[in-house]
Amino acid sequence: MKKLCLVILFIVALITNSYAADKIVFGASLSLTGKLAKEGNLVKDGYELWKEVVNKKGGINVGGKKYLVDIKYYDDESDPNRGAKLVEKLITEDKIKLILGPYGSESVFATSAITEKYGAIMVQGGAAADKLYTRGFKNLFGIYTVATEYMSDILEMLKDKDPKPSTIAIVYSNDLFSTQVAQGAKAKAQSLGYNIVLFQDYPKGTQDLSTVIVQIKSKNPDIIIGCGHFQDTIVIVKQCKDYKVNPKALAFSVGPTLPDFVDSLKGDSEYIFGAAQWTKSLKYKDPVFGSNAEFVKLFKAKYKEDPNYHSAGGAAAAVIFQRAIEKAGTFTDIAKIREALSKYDEETLFGKIRFDSTGKVVGKSMAVIQILKGTQVTVYPEAVAEGKMVYPKPAWK
Amino acid sequence: MILQILINGILLGGFYALIGVGFSLVWGVTNIINLAHGAIALLGSYITYYMFQNLHLDPFLSLPFSFILLFIFGYLIQRYIMNYVVKAQIFMLLILTFGIEIFLVNFMTTFFSADFRSVTPTYAGSSMEFAGVVVPYIRFVVFVICLVVTIIMGLFLEKTWIGKAIRATSLDLEAAMMTGISPRKIYSLTFALGSGLAGLAGSLLSLTQAFSPNIAGGLTLRAFIVAILGGLGRVEGAFLGGVMLGIIETLSSFYIGEGYKNAIAFGLMVFMLIVKPSGLLGRKYYAEVKH
Repeated sequence: MKKLCLVILFIVALITNSYAADKIVFGASLSLTGKLAKEGNLVKDGYELWKEVVNKKGGINVGGKKYLVDIKYYDDESDPNRGAKLVEKLITEDKIKLILGPYGSESVFATSAITEKYGAIMVQGGAAADKLYTRGFKNLFGIYTVATEYMSDILEMLKDKDPKPSTIAIVYSNDLFSTQVAQGAKAKAQSLGYNIVLFQDYPKGTQDLSTVIVQIKSKNPDIIIGCGHFQDTIVIVKQCKDYKVNPKALAFSVGPTLPDFVDSLKGDSEYIFGAAQWTKSLKYKDPVFGSNAEFVKLFKAKYKEDPNYHSAGGAAAAVIFQRAIEKAGTFTDIAKIREALSKYDEETLFGKIRFDSTGKVVGKSMAVIQILKGTQVTVYPEAVAEGKMVYPKPAWK
Repeated sequence: MILQILINGILLGGFYALIGVGFSLVWGVTNIINLAHGAIALLGSYITYYMFQNLHLDPFLSLPFSFILLFIFGYLIQRYIMNYVVKAQIFMLLILTFGIEIFLVNFMTTFFSADFRSVTPTYAGSSMEFAGVVVPYIRFVVFVICLVVTIIMGLFLEKTWIGKAIRATSLDLEAAMMTGISPRKIYSLTFALGSGLAGLAGSLLSLTQAFSPNIAGGLTLRAFIVAILGGLGRVEGAFLGGVMLGIIETLSSFYIGEGYKNAIAFGLMVFMLIVKPSGLLGRKYYAEVKH
């Protein structure tokens, strides 16, 4: 029985190998089980939809010849170290050098070290930590706006509005991610000429922020920026209203983009701004799907639900990978693909994508949403937005 | 501004007192450190949330439901689970309540999801203002409810037969048994009261902040500090401890920094344990180790 199995395996291996000639095989180690299973599977949905669409069109065009696409998946069980081992397996045993990124900063951090070591290449749409790009890696390209640039576009968007805002208060939860977002926001605000009247951290998951709100009130800032988590965002909104703090704009890094936000705050959620990597109403064109709207339509048809930014990030990373291969005219020469990626400059469903020398995305704006009449309306970037924003924010009812 | 900070602290303290009073009572009388206290409080939050969301019932009107349902829940838990191990080592009781906590948190995660919820009625956020000091209505009402509940609980323990029996049981178990008090019944009643009070606190919590099943541990921790500060088993103690914790948090947040307030609150708890382990109002015989 064992022998028979081995023989069958051998034959299968032979067949797949002979197929491989007309196929480009990508590898991906994703969290398909464990605590990141939800996000991991959403990213996989994005990859799968891309594969389906590309193969329907005949495949990736490399030097005039079309190659079908296949993706080999492994499940890292939400463990970054296991992810790193699996990527090593993809590269050394499966001989795949084109790696689609996992979801989560820790996983990308661990697995990209392996792709770099073996001269493989990774394009990722699933991690936003700055530390990914400070290691001098050449073969890692990421399309998420990094933490320190999270609030930049909101500040940019508000700077010339009428009445012109000049003072700003930034409050943030003292965990690593929120602190980075806040520090980035502070630096950007200073460079744009805002006057920072309060820069205050608070403990993660706090139940009361009355002291901070009273301090904010005494400074009466034009803009309040909150960098924290859903729970503290709710407390800030509720207590701002309690203490009649009425800024011209109230913006958060996390919270307003989640559907529970309106549900939890009802009418008090109106006019609040939130930062988003991507929204489904952005009017971007896309070289593979045609447009962002088309991507959303196809996704809905296949999975019977709206895509969120996890899936969009996955699909966009794959699209950019494909376009780089087509531009390089090869799928085996990693150096040429890297070259094509570093010169990449195209509009995709995720935004206008370029990379700096560290592989970090530049030029892509964060989308800004505003809660209007109980729904999230994408109001920025204005050229691709679906609605007009309301500014200044009316006082609490 | 300092007046505003102090008032904020007192209002916040009212909530802390309510979350602490049930915990303190159970600990003082039955010697059970109920690690599931926060999770039971969250059940109260969900009762209020679902009554508000589905039946459009005013959150304050759901308080009696929350109290009664969790009173029954607490009674059943003590009667049919805890009473079997109440004579065992205190360590076993800790493990048991910890187990109940894990069960409840996972139960809520499964059936109510891990999403954060909050109750926001139309009048949320309105506040009165005099002499530049803002007093939010909801927080004020929460404080008043806590005060009233504390007074009622105090009277109940002082004046009624059952109240006296509860105190007697906590003071001297054997003497209480000799006068015909059944400790099993008293334990069940106390635990039921503790759970009911936790439910009240949870219901009120849903108005002022967002909650999800995994904040249960944080709530238990607050109750723990309140009980230590105020003294075990004493209703007035819990109230005092709660208000103290509220004021300490807001003051330290104002003078030292919001980021340090937890460290200061816990530091104070440790200090209290060293200087006066029985708490501000606790007396020696309350919560003596009986096993």
